[in-house]
Amino acid sequence: MTVQDHPLPLGAPICDGLTVVEIAEDPAGELTGKLLAQYGARVTKVEPPEGSPTRQIGPFAGGEQTPDSSLTFWYYNTSKRSVKASLPGDQEMLDGHLRDADVLILSLTPARQRELGVDPAVLAARHPRLVVCAITPFGQDGPWAGYASSDLVALAAGGLLNSCGYDDHSIPPIRPAENQAYHVAASFAHISIFLALIERQQTGSGQVIDVSVHDCVAVSPELANPYWFYPKALVKRQTCRHAQPSPTQPALFSTLDGRYVYFALILGDIKPWQNLIEWMDGFGMAADLTDAGYQEVSFRQANFPHIQQMIEAFFMVQDATTIYHEGQARGLPIAVVNSPDDVLEDEHLAARGFFETVALPDGRPAVFPGAPIRFSAHPAVAQSHAPLLDGGDEPPPAK
Amino acid sequence: MIPQKQAPGVFPFYGEEDRGPRKRSGPLAGVRVADFCWMGVGSVATRLLADFGAEVIKIEDRTRVDMPRRLPLYKGEVRNYGQQDATADPNRGGLFNNYSRNKLGVTINLRTQRGRDLAEQLVGASSVVTENFAPGVMEKWGFTYERFRELVPDVIYARMSGYGHSGPHEHYRSYGPIVQAASGLSYVAGLPGREPSGWGLSYMDNMAAYYNSAALLMAIWNRRATGVGTEIDVAAVEVGVSLLGPVVLDVTVNDHTTQRPDYPTGNRLEHPQAAPHGVYPCAGEDRWVAIAVFNNDEWSALLTAMGSPEWASGPLFATQEGRFANQDLLDGHIAEWTAHYDPHTVMGRLQAHGVRAGAVQNPQDLNEVDPQLAWRGTFFEMDHPVIGPARFEGFPASMSGQGPDHWRSAPLVGEDNAYVFGELLGVDKAEIDELAEAGVI
Repeated sequence: MTVQDHPLPLGAPICDGLTVVEIAEDPAGELTGKLLAQYGARVTKVEPPEGSPTRQIGPFAGGEQTPDSSLTFWYYNTSKRSVKASLPGDQEMLDGHLRDADVLILSLTPARQRELGVDPAVLAARHPRLVVCAITPFGQDGPWAGYASSDLVALAAGGLLNSCGYDDHSIPPIRPAENQAYHVAASFAHISIFLALIERQQTGSGQVIDVSVHDCVAVSPELANPYWFYPKALVKRQTCRHAQPSPTQPALFSTLDGRYVYFALILGDIKPWQNLIEWMDGFGMAADLTDAGYQEVSFRQANFPHIQQMIEAFFMVQDATTIYHEGQARGLPIAVVNSPDDVLEDEHLAARGFFETVALPDGRPAVFPGAPIRFSAHPAVAQSHAPLLDGGDEPPPAK
Repeated sequence: MIPQKQAPGVFPFYGEEDRGPRKRSGPLAGVRVADFCWMGVGSVATRLLADFGAEVIKIEDRTRVDMPRRLPLYKGEVRNYGQQDATADPNRGGLFNNYSRNKLGVTINLRTQRGRDLAEQLVGASSVVTENFAPGVMEKWGFTYERFRELVPDVIYARMSGYGHSGPHEHYRSYGPIVQAASGLSYVAGLPGREPSGWGLSYMDNMAAYYNSAALLMAIWNRRATGVGTEIDVAAVEVGVSLLGPVVLDVTVNDHTTQRPDYPTGNRLEHPQAAPHGVYPCAGEDRWVAIAVFNNDEWSALLTAMGSPEWASGPLFATQEGRFANQDLLDGHIAEWTAHYDPHTVMGRLQAHGVRAGAVQNPQDLNEVDPQLAWRGTFFEMDHPVIGPARFEGFPASMSGQGPDHWRSAPLVGEDNAYVFGELLGVDKAEIDELAEAGVI
């Protein structure tokens, strides 16, 4: 039984009835708002009259820069409404919106909070039921609170970047692309908001949440921190595989069609080894790897470089997707390194109906990634296009 | 001594006599979770619930304990991730301690009928069930959403997997790097014209876990309001694709393929055209600093911080377009300057002028140098009967309401059997002894 074909009658979207106001100048707050809008919350983005600065970031649809053609803005702002407010002047108008809101997302530096007159504690005091989620580069206060940041700087200072790059350490650590520091922060903002909403169900009171992008990254480098907490080892970056205390064998293999597959052979397990050798033998390419000695883990370990060379040759005569599906059919954890273009053609994602078609302002359809959380009792919400700058303001809620 | 803002990050050490279950505080106090999760994604997802007061009862099989107990992160002994020690004490594993703090631990052999009956009893006394086995495992034991709804009509049942519970690749084996490769996240990271550098970590173990935590919280919040439970299906590959960012729209809207020789762009940023935007060498072995300049004001500030160097005075670097177009030359100049200093010195000097800069910090820096994390008390310590005092990654947001309730390090194997089976489920002492004797618990 799957979530898709569940017989339960579908109720309302899971965030139905939730009202959210968003003031965001970076992808962390905008993605947080999107993660609520995607599940049925009514999210109102408050922008300055000239438009959110995020409308200025490319790439642009058709290559032409206008406030309504930023694909970055489109990506992070689907399913939201927008109103214009000139802060700090339009404070009363903002208060009008906040009176009926459950959540305020503020994604600004502390300095910008002051310029716009949106102090999280002051707004929370004025609206006692409101959950104010303030996302800042380093937190509301502390020795680095005034420091300037960006996605790259956040990944560096938060430690995640230290694990990413190439075996060749004359090359600097390389940033995993596309705003991932902000994405990590958005997921913690999402979590924090629901913790606060659950608390409000019990107390009737809202609260102030202080999300630091820096902290979010610093708790998320996976093994690097535990390697320091326990053996006091510093992991070192390696090409497209886990940073480790000492070097390991490569896990990326070139394929016949000029692509790559990821495969990290775990020598300690006999079953995957047998599956691999049987596969290679079927191509007449197992050579000496079928020798009895290789049944012993110590022998496999001693001959790992030779094994790697044999696998390299084996993958070089097949194309990447064949290796992916055939290897997986044989129970091996292996994957093709898909480009975004490839992902859009993926048969599994298509079968699950993951991608959605969103109508663009000119009426043309465009494919967007869908919502990654599925609830059997709550329908998904079809995404609508990001708000246009002059799409017609709606009046603030009645006082 | 670095000043601290909050309650100190070092919590009282609990001796063994103090490790028994206690009344929890936090927004999730009173929520009981029958937790079938193991490995990374599931364990990190339910850790969040345990941190905030839920009674998370982790179910392990004594004959096949959770893998992180076996992964070799030990105090006083450096081993790579793959170099396991089969003879090691399962209570010594640091990664398990890291993933399962604040949870209760029981052992049930689910390959026995009596074990499965006991697990159903536990589900019946819970309101949330979580699992991240390969698809088909729970079904094999007769554990389906339908069965759980018979036991708990408004149950929330969260299923976390690599590929989700439908579709042609449902049964594909996955862990972080597989998800990253399949979802496009590895491809988009690297220098142009060579293999991707991708990720040096299971980014998607964390991100899938965080999305699963959020999904569970949304479901708990909704159930409190409506009385309706739900099944949850989160496929890590779908979370991964949703994190690819605006580049997806460059493909779908602009037909601009990413399969081109100048993609990806390493540390350089095209949107917007920032320059310098890179990671530069510093004094010391393999030490680096990240610098990002987005406009003329930031450029002027950078030059002031660098002492207005001669090379920067010409027209070549006078505009953002010029700097972007001449990055090879520009990066060479910047690197020459940064190489004289350690990364925190560069960071401090540039930040003093308002320039976006960050030392590439390693975990030692995060724990011993970073004054901001110390100020916020982000890392904290708890004692463990076998491991001793250990550090933990705390919650990265501070809440003016109820914060996390860190009450105990991870359970020893079967540590809470007597409490859960005896006190919670009412199994009498003689039967518990007999179940233990029979290898059921």
